[in-house]
Amino acid sequence: MSLKRIGFLLGKEFLQGPKNFIFVWAVVAPVVISFVVSLAFGSLFSEKPKLGVVDEGDSQMVAMITGLDSAITREYDTVPAITNAVESGSVDMGIVLPQGFDEAISQGEETEVRIYIWGESLAKNRSILGVTVTNLIRELAGQEAPVEIDTITLGDEINIPWNDRLLPFIVLMAVFIGGLFLPSTSVINEKVKNTMVALVVTPTTIGDIFVSKGLLGFILSLVMGIIILVLNQAFGSQPGLLVMVLALGGIMATELGLLCGALIKDLTSLFTIWKMGGILLWAPAFIYLFPQIPEWVGMIFPTYYVVQPIVQISQQGSAWADISVNVFVLIGLNVLFAGIVALVLRRRRVYLV
Amino acid sequence: MNLRIIGAFISKDLSLFFRNRFFASMTVLGIIVYIAIYFVMPKQVDETLQIGLYTQATLPFFEQVQEEGLTLQAVDSEEALKEGVVEGEYVAGVVLPADILESFMSGQKPRISVYFASDAPPEIKESVESIIRELAFLQAGQVLPIEVTEEILGPDMLGKQIPPRDRMRPLFAVLLLIVETMGLANLLSQEVERGTIRAVLVTPMSVIDLFAAKGAVGVGLAFIQSVLFIAVVGGMNTQPLIILVALLLGAVLVTGIGFLIAALGKDMMSVMAWGIMIFVLLSIPSFGVAFPGTVTDWIKAVPSYYLVDTIHRAANFGSGWGDIWYNLLILLGFDIAFFWIGIIVLRRKFR
Repeated sequence: MSLKRIGFLLGKEFLQGPKNFIFVWAVVAPVVISFVVSLAFGSLFSEKPKLGVVDEGDSQMVAMITGLDSAITREYDTVPAITNAVESGSVDMGIVLPQGFDEAISQGEETEVRIYIWGESLAKNRSILGVTVTNLIRELAGQEAPVEIDTITLGDEINIPWNDRLLPFIVLMAVFIGGLFLPSTSVINEKVKNTMVALVVTPTTIGDIFVSKGLLGFILSLVMGIIILVLNQAFGSQPGLLVMVLALGGIMATELGLLCGALIKDLTSLFTIWKMGGILLWAPAFIYLFPQIPEWVGMIFPTYYVVQPIVQISQQGSAWADISVNVFVLIGLNVLFAGIVALVLRRRRVYLV
Repeated sequence: MNLRIIGAFISKDLSLFFRNRFFASMTVLGIIVYIAIYFVMPKQVDETLQIGLYTQATLPFFEQVQEEGLTLQAVDSEEALKEGVVEGEYVAGVVLPADILESFMSGQKPRISVYFASDAPPEIKESVESIIRELAFLQAGQVLPIEVTEEILGPDMLGKQIPPRDRMRPLFAVLLLIVETMGLANLLSQEVERGTIRAVLVTPMSVIDLFAAKGAVGVGLAFIQSVLFIAVVGGMNTQPLIILVALLLGAVLVTGIGFLIAALGKDMMSVMAWGIMIFVLLSIPSFGVAFPGTVTDWIKAVPSYYLVDTIHRAANFGSGWGDIWYNLLILLGFDIAFFWIGIIVLRRKFR
């Protein structure tokens, strides 16, 4: 193996890479998905009930409603707009405040309030919104609550918002799209176009080719992992540790990519594997999305040992002592995959060219 | 059109597909994984807010709450209440002081303790506090001078909510169909790339025969996979004929789009580039079903909307032909358009 030749091949890969669809995809897809998740999915997965309001007069209730923390609120200009929003499920409940509502309430006069409820809205959301609106009207009417409430917190579990639950999925995607797809498609393309043969008739060895392609995947995977964590402000208090885990994840992705490249004969087969195998890679991310699934299920999948330390460092502020066991398992898996790649390369050398 | 030649070409494509054990087993495994994900997802919707209540006083408004989606369950001791909150049995635990009635009567403000688990979201804490306040207002006899006119829009699903996994059914079915689009587009582009299409066309097989055969293979594979999936996950329990027709039209749609992608792509990579763009576009309407209210009316411009909407309404609401005939008609229109454009463009590429 020659470092000079590996460097030369790596330079070529970097030069040709941006012209390749997979390279562009590996860079663009995680960033785009991260933005989509933070912009849209943050409220999409929120379990807060949604309340819409139309003010036919000039009520202070609108400001009180939009200032609520217990509900996602939206203001509409017309009754048809709010009924349309309720009918499509954009809001669970729509309230129409008539003209002179505030005056009527403050003078204790009876007034009518129209409420539209989405048929698919959960019963608890209907209840929550109902009492919340009633509470606000009482506040507007100047009624003082007849009780004092003391809230007491029990246990030490932490509530994890949906944005944070989705982070493992985005990080996995950032690390594995580049790390797995770049080396595998690059090796397969060389095989399909017979350029691998042309390369190995020079002093370049199969090892040089695989290492250079692996390095490209690893670098892109690590860079994308860091970018995604920075974009999501999830770098935590241990950046060095986090980069180390990302690097180990990148190595795993690259090894799997090289393995796919060595074993798979064409891109169709690669994408057919992806159709099924991709889900196995993302499986640990589902554990974070749905905490009802027992954690041991995630431990079956190798990518769990990449995601878990990242989540622990970035979201729980964990240190080396907390993540060391998972990191050692990750290192062990990387060594195992490296051994398998080496074995496959030795056995399939003749098929590769 | 020569049916014998078309039949021979179809059986050649199918035998090639199934002779490749890898392709065949991966396709089957793919369906199995989708089915497994479906069954792992929650099958029920918990739409009730369960609050524990410990009190030594008698307070009718607290004890007889009959509000939809809200249950106040009496607990024997404060310890049992705390345990229930920590174990997630109750979203909150309310402790009413023994002298609460006397406090109300003397005009004093009694103190009510509310226990929350530390992982309770802030919105739940605020909501429970609002509920307690409202019950206290009612108990204290303070009424509001408002008349509420309530109207439910759409079918009232109270007590019979659609579980998340059933909302995801159309998404999974559409994903299975779209993946087949990319497979078909790739096979076609490979044939063009390798020149085998030209070789076939110098035989008595006409271009129409070729498209009929490729179309039948594409439609057949996509249709069978999606039907298998929908059948296993119980999507055929209501309106099976409508769902079968919708899936067939969906399979024709993705095959037409597959022709189009094959014509646009020069090789596997460009097929993937176009394929992923179309994959994302076609799957957006499914998210509208999985997460209602997230998409606006522009979604109706995406052909797969009519497939997703039909499956969702037929499987989850039992909608009949009278409710969704126009969806199927529009889908058929898109089928004809895409199939025709796909054939025209691909045919040009052969020449």
